[in-house]
Amino acid sequence: GVFAHLAALEVQAHQAALKQEELEQQEEKVARLKERVQELRLQRDELRAKVDLQQNRRLGKGGAMSDPVQPSAQAVLERKIKSLKSMLQIFYLTGISGKLTKQGVCFCISTAYEGTYLDSYHVDLVLKPEVRILRHSIPIFIPLEQISKKYLQRDIRRFMSVLFDHLNAYAGRRYQADQLQEHFSDHIEGTLQRNSLCNLLVFKYDVSKNSKTFPFQARLIYGDLCLSLPTEVLVSCTPDAPVSLAEVAAAHSDLFRSMALHKAFRSFSSTEHIMI
Amino acid sequence: MDNSTCQVYEDEIQSLEEEIKLLAEKYEDSQQESTFFSEEEILMSMYAFFSPVGEYQGESKKHESPSDLKAQLESLERDLSFLMKFTAIQFTSHSKETVKKTRNSTVQKHRLLGNCQALSFQLEFQLLEMQNKEKVSAVITDLSIIMEYGEDLDVRKFVSSAEEHGNLLTFFRSLSSFAEWYEHRRLTFLYFK
Repeated sequence: GVFAHLAALEVQAHQAALKQEELEQQEEKVARLKERVQELRLQRDELRAKVDLQQNRRLGKGGAMSDPVQPSAQAVLERKIKSLKSMLQIFYLTGISGKLTKQGVCFCISTAYEGTYLDSYHVDLVLKPEVRILRHSIPIFIPLEQISKKYLQRDIRRFMSVLFDHLNAYAGRRYQADQLQEHFSDHIEGTLQRNSLCNLLVFKYDVSKNSKTFPFQARLIYGDLCLSLPTEVLVSCTPDAPVSLAEVAAAHSDLFRSMALHKAFRSFSSTEHIMI
Repeated sequence: MDNSTCQVYEDEIQSLEEEIKLLAEKYEDSQQESTFFSEEEILMSMYAFFSPVGEYQGESKKHESPSDLKAQLESLERDLSFLMKFTAIQFTSHSKETVKKTRNSTVQKHRLLGNCQALSFQLEFQLLEMQNKEKVSAVITDLSIIMEYGEDLDVRKFVSSAEEHGNLLTFFRSLSSFAEWYEHRRLTFLYFK
């Protein structure tokens, strides 16, 4: 009776207290968040004003402005350094960049496929008593010795240019093979076979995805190491494939000769229903 | 009910923090661009720095002594000067603007003016840089190239091809070899005149 009633009241009171505490905590949290929002809004507005002032100044006056607050010598130096570093980074995008060293120059060759930059390589050159390679990160299957024997002594620019062509073409071939493996593995039997130079590719494929049979057999040879398109393409049909596919094989042969490999696959996998 | 209020505030906090980050970056970038101090101005401030009577005004963010900075500046200038001579590519103006920034990627819009021998160019492109563990990857998009072709169809060819495929790298390499060939042809022509 009474005790049970009292117990019930106690529980009620306890629950009410808990709820009250919860409410207070919530309110506190909301208040804190509100304060933070106002703080950030203020910071953001100040920054906006700063940036707007900067833009106005830039549009109002020309290049040489009289800054009311003289920058410190330290700041001037740091800014100039930052701007030079930024400029040197741009050179990286041009394909040939580098840095002077005590004994000569360390060149950096960057490679790319269209807009995507790929690996970069270094060649550290000594200039005296004669030009020679001190160290490098060129892969062993690139004919570096051949190229340096032919050009290094008489024309460093030409040497760099030819080396660049080899490396960039290799990077482009590898990129195409990787793209094919990555995005069209459901059209290919197993894994694409390739050599380290990526100038020999062999694979069996089908035009449709996830098919059980791969009626086409392709063999691509990139005879010119400075190119990322093949010089020789052989697309044949497996002996048990229907005769009608021979025409398709011939068409693909032309396609692979004139277009990047992954793009070629993209083109016929999207038009697979418009086939002969 | 209060939970949704909290969520609203929290969302606003996140968006404000991102906006602040972007604005700060924008401010820094513009600061870069608008700082075209003449050589003389730089030298004067450097002398002020080193003079025993002068006041030290700035606070150093890193522990780099002024002579370290000066040496660094000279080294960078030498490197840049060498590259411009070696590749014949001269950049006359460069500005960049951060368009988007996340924890491990940055998109910046670049505007680059320069010339290679007699050919001048104006480039605009977006550069996406992504940090993946230790590697930084770069992708160029929205490439636009403005060049004066004159009568040269060869130039027009490699420019439109590069622009179409977003191939900034090929553009520069073609430019460099074209300029070399152009110079060679000009000299040969002069010789036979």
